Amino acid sequence: MATETSTRSVVPQGTLYRGREGMWSWVAHRITGLLIFVFLLVHVLDTSLVRVAPEAYNAVIETYKNPVVGLGEAGLVGAVLFHAFNGIRVMLVDFWSQGPRFHRQMLWAVGALWVLLMVPFLVRHLSNVFGG
Amino acid sequence: MAAPSLEAPRSTPYRRSASRRSNYEMYSWLFMRLSGAVLVVLVIGHLFVNLMVGDGISGLDFGFVAGKWASPFWQVWDLAMLWLAMIHGSNGVRTIINDYAQRDMTRIVLKTLVLVALVFTVVLGTLVIFTFEPCPVGPDGAFLEGVPSFCTS
Amino acid sequence: MSSTDSEAVEAAADRNDEQVDGDGRPHGRAGESASADGGQLGAIPRFDVTLRIRRYSAEDAEDGKPAEARWQEFTVTVNGTDRVLDALHKIKWEQDGSLTFRRSCAHGVCGSDAMRINGVNRLACKVLVKDVNPDKPITVEPIKGLPVEKDLVVDMEPFFQSYREVMPFLITSGHEPTRERKQSQEERARFDDTTKCILCAACTSSCPVFWTDGQYFGPAAIVNAHRFIFDSRDEGADVRLEVLNDREGVWRCRTTFNCSEACPRGIQVTKAIHEVKRALLTRSV
Repeated sequence: MATETSTRSVVPQGTLYRGREGMWSWVAHRITGLLIFVFLLVHVLDTSLVRVAPEAYNAVIETYKNPVVGLGEAGLVGAVLFHAFNGIRVMLVDFWSQGPRFHRQMLWAVGALWVLLMVPFLVRHLSNVFGG
Repeated sequence: MAAPSLEAPRSTPYRRSASRRSNYEMYSWLFMRLSGAVLVVLVIGHLFVNLMVGDGISGLDFGFVAGKWASPFWQVWDLAMLWLAMIHGSNGVRTIINDYAQRDMTRIVLKTLVLVALVFTVVLGTLVIFTFEPCPVGPDGAFLEGVPSFCTS
Repeated sequence: MSSTDSEAVEAAADRNDEQVDGDGRPHGRAGESASADGGQLGAIPRFDVTLRIRRYSAEDAEDGKPAEARWQEFTVTVNGTDRVLDALHKIKWEQDGSLTFRRSCAHGVCGSDAMRINGVNRLACKVLVKDVNPDKPITVEPIKGLPVEKDLVVDMEPFFQSYREVMPFLITSGHEPTRERKQSQEERARFDDTTKCILCAACTSSCPVFWTDGQYFGPAAIVNAHRFIFDSRDEGADVRLEVLNDREGVWRCRTTFNCSEACPRGIQVTKAIHEVKRALLTRSV
């Protein structure tokens, strides 16, 4: 008898839940948050090299100066900006009495603000990364 | 003929631990929002100064960091950012672990790892900011290679 | 007129032929929807629709291998006025009597037939087939996060356990008054929204936190706590707030708004949870 196997494992959850803006912004908030946390650990570690020796720090920073890392940095800034603005949206939902009513409009505002800041940043950053 | 015995379908029995009568989760929730609000300013300011002003990312080297940390303003800024971001991030990861790790043992192991990473990173970062020497000197008494220009002038 | 009648009779006869075992056929309801179609209501379109249903039965286990869930497709002819529940009835009554689902009133009040239709939680008795794009197969699955017992029926016990824990009943002290407990219209309006709950579990089983952590109280329990916390006649607010201050309480809410969108009664669930959080923060209701 198959009594030891838990039923949960054999009844798969089925299709993806088709949630709307609220659910997907939460998923994105979670993923960007995790990404930033991992980066933060690495970032503190490499910055700590300034305490070791100037050359050590400069050597590591020099290895970062290539297009792949440059694009990664652009992605990271995108993640940080989304996490920041969506975080403000979450705070408004939590603390502003009209927040739950306008959460969807606020997500569009987050998107607009994100694009508005990412465009000048990408122009500046990518010209640095690819312009040599 | 005996009917086949069927296992009860409940695989995750409802077993909520008794309320601990503490406001821990409330303060954790509140901290995420308050620190988040401060971090928005700190992190975006940090990104702006490091990536947009001056030479941007290509201007980053030891001299740039030394120039920043020569001023107590940026020391305090970065220290606050380090502490708040690390606690905010660790608490966020703790929430994710609580959500997805099913077994108690998995939860404990993962949360311990996060706690170790938190303490290590915060202590290391704090020590670096406080003991930072913008113009490090070698054993021969001369400035090490790579020191910013304001050391020698 | 006469041709319509004979069509209806033929249709009913067909069904009787197919319904060999008569399993699950309710008394006095068979053919009710079918007899409404035909010539006299010619304006109502009839069309074929395919339902892709997620099926599971623990009895399918064989040779020590546990049973697995599978998808099964059924095609039925429905009226433009039919709801998904009508289509499920047709399948059960005419094609496969073993199809298992819950329903009671069939009119959106009892809260028995919450299920996942095309990926979102809905009451099958409130969704018109024509409104869920019948050109493509309509997927029907049990609600998420609760153990499946058979096909679309889930074990609701964890859900009701949470519900009971918030003490969804009036708590008062002192002697029972000889007259009714009076309340102003403003006081009544504060919890009006949360009185509408029918305990269908559409909200709780739409919550991503509940799917992965079944110990979370879930939106429905918080909604029903809200209904009493903000009731001026009730004196148990502090106890209920303390229950919801738990590790698995309101602070696990991540405001994804899935619950508000799933609620068949239009309760603003996220807003209710927001008000409970605020009451906890300020320790006043």
